[in-house]
Amino acid sequence: MNVEELVRETLREQAAAQGPAAPGLADRVLAVRRRRRVRRLASVAAATAAVVAVVVAVPMLDTGKGDVHPVGTVGRDGIHAHPDQTPPKDMIAAGRSALAAYYTESFVARTKDEGTSERTYRLLDTRTGTYRKDGRWSHVAVAPGLRTAAVLERSLPARRIGLLDLATGEVERWIPVDHGVGGLAFSGDGRRLVATTYAENPDAQFKKRNPLTGKDGWVGVHASPRTGFLLVDPAAGTATWSRVTNGPGVLGRADFAFTRDDRLLFARIVGSKDGMEQFYDLAGKPVTAPADERHLRWDVGARLSPNGRLAALGLAREVDGSPGRSYSSIRDPRTGKEITKVRGAQLLAWADDKRLIAWERVSGLEEPYRARLVLVTLSSEKVVPLSGTRMFDDDRETVEWEPVFVRR
Amino acid sequence: MDAAELDGFREFVENRSSALLRTAVLLCGGDRHAGEDLLQNALVRAAGKWQRIDEPEAYVRRILYRQQVGRWRLKWPRREVSVAEPPEAGTAGADTVAAAELRVVMRQVLSRLTARQRTMLVLRYFEDLPESEVARLLGCSVGTVRSTTHRSLARLRSLAPELAALDPARTEPRPSRDFSPMEVRP
Repeated sequence: MNVEELVRETLREQAAAQGPAAPGLADRVLAVRRRRRVRRLASVAAATAAVVAVVVAVPMLDTGKGDVHPVGTVGRDGIHAHPDQTPPKDMIAAGRSALAAYYTESFVARTKDEGTSERTYRLLDTRTGTYRKDGRWSHVAVAPGLRTAAVLERSLPARRIGLLDLATGEVERWIPVDHGVGGLAFSGDGRRLVATTYAENPDAQFKKRNPLTGKDGWVGVHASPRTGFLLVDPAAGTATWSRVTNGPGVLGRADFAFTRDDRLLFARIVGSKDGMEQFYDLAGKPVTAPADERHLRWDVGARLSPNGRLAALGLAREVDGSPGRSYSSIRDPRTGKEITKVRGAQLLAWADDKRLIAWERVSGLEEPYRARLVLVTLSSEKVVPLSGTRMFDDDRETVEWEPVFVRR
Repeated sequence: MDAAELDGFREFVENRSSALLRTAVLLCGGDRHAGEDLLQNALVRAAGKWQRIDEPEAYVRRILYRQQVGRWRLKWPRREVSVAEPPEAGTAGADTVAAAELRVVMRQVLSRLTARQRTMLVLRYFEDLPESEVARLLGCSVGTVRSTTHRSLARLRSLAPELAALDPARTEPRPSRDFSPMEVRP
């Protein structure tokens, strides 16, 4: 390593350690601006003069036309779209959300009776704005801000967690853990990581004879080998384990993730309805759902809007045509009452309080389902393609690639 | 600003303020409060010209950089910069600990550079901008960018003798790549 590389690493580490900006910044800025206008006419109060003086002393700039366009910069529309690419090659993003990675999944037979479903990730290289294959990892969670990812090596459950620099592709640090890990998720502020622990590989599959058809087929583990979770502090390299007792609805892989306020965890359970979730406190004790998350579904990744006032839910309506049109439900998070429907078959991430990234079909209702990533807007039929149409293997019922969206 | 522009401004701040704050804090040598002030001032400036700005983020970033290297800034009283304690060594290996210690040293010496020197290093090594773009952003020549970067790195080495252990043979800045992602507008 030389000095430049150390500067680069240090700056990245320092940036990654910053929490998000405090809420309400826009209103504070507008208030400062209003005060500044008033003070032009009056004398400047000494106590707040520094802030105003800073503003006045800024060198006069032009309107910004002709500015260069550094990496990550977005225009007012905030869209990076590549409707000709499937799988994507160049960065896809809209508003606050970016496609940080995507993965393909394939079955790998280990013996004649046993195998695993394995992922191969393509991660966003933040220096080039392109996706780069990285076959080293079985599981990847990208931290908000797109600088760092937490990674697990191929053999699950893993005994160490890597912190990967997305710009260089190098692991900056390994965090050894005393419980085998199979899944990872960052908190909303990026300062903590929940690592789901398993006694065995949760993606293992076994050959079993179907008693109804008499044919052999591959099936996943039924009773979940999940044991609990580790709360990891990536900056300090420390982890604390909590045991979680699995109820009857916990099957196979059931990774934990943080709730919106990072105070609780949730994981999917199989129950009377699709998409059900169980919530836990940070000691692993089951608790009731927070008031604004009790209507959410684990299979709808967008969850709550940035301002917390809208809940993204599931497919509500399909209209035939060429192509067909899908609509998903937007509900009041607290009452569960539908407020509106928005275009899109599966809502993946909020771009802002009015726009979402979604899968939307390009085929008619009677044709095989084919979809592409699109940007949809509340109260609008407008659909902006973001990716090419994803291929689908009808025989194996597998998709070409699965997206991973992260807040930029 | 009319109601739609106010909404657009709020939306921009909500979406991009955390990323902008990261850069602002680095420009201020790790001082979070100074970074928040710097960003707030840049956003106040942007709000005043919101109707005429085509690329809000590029505009705000340019204000951040220029505010930081402007002459007035050099006269600004130095703030006390608090630096976090080194992370616990835990079970990490000796190399990891040594690297972590070097990063702590580097954080401390970065905070002791002048604002202009630090801004140059942030643009070159955090934003990964090529010299020509740094020159354009700061309104100076490529030669100035090159010499300031060189002097900034030399200053880091003189402030922290520990850095002498690093490879001295590769002291020239690495070339950055041009990597503007394609942007398609609806």
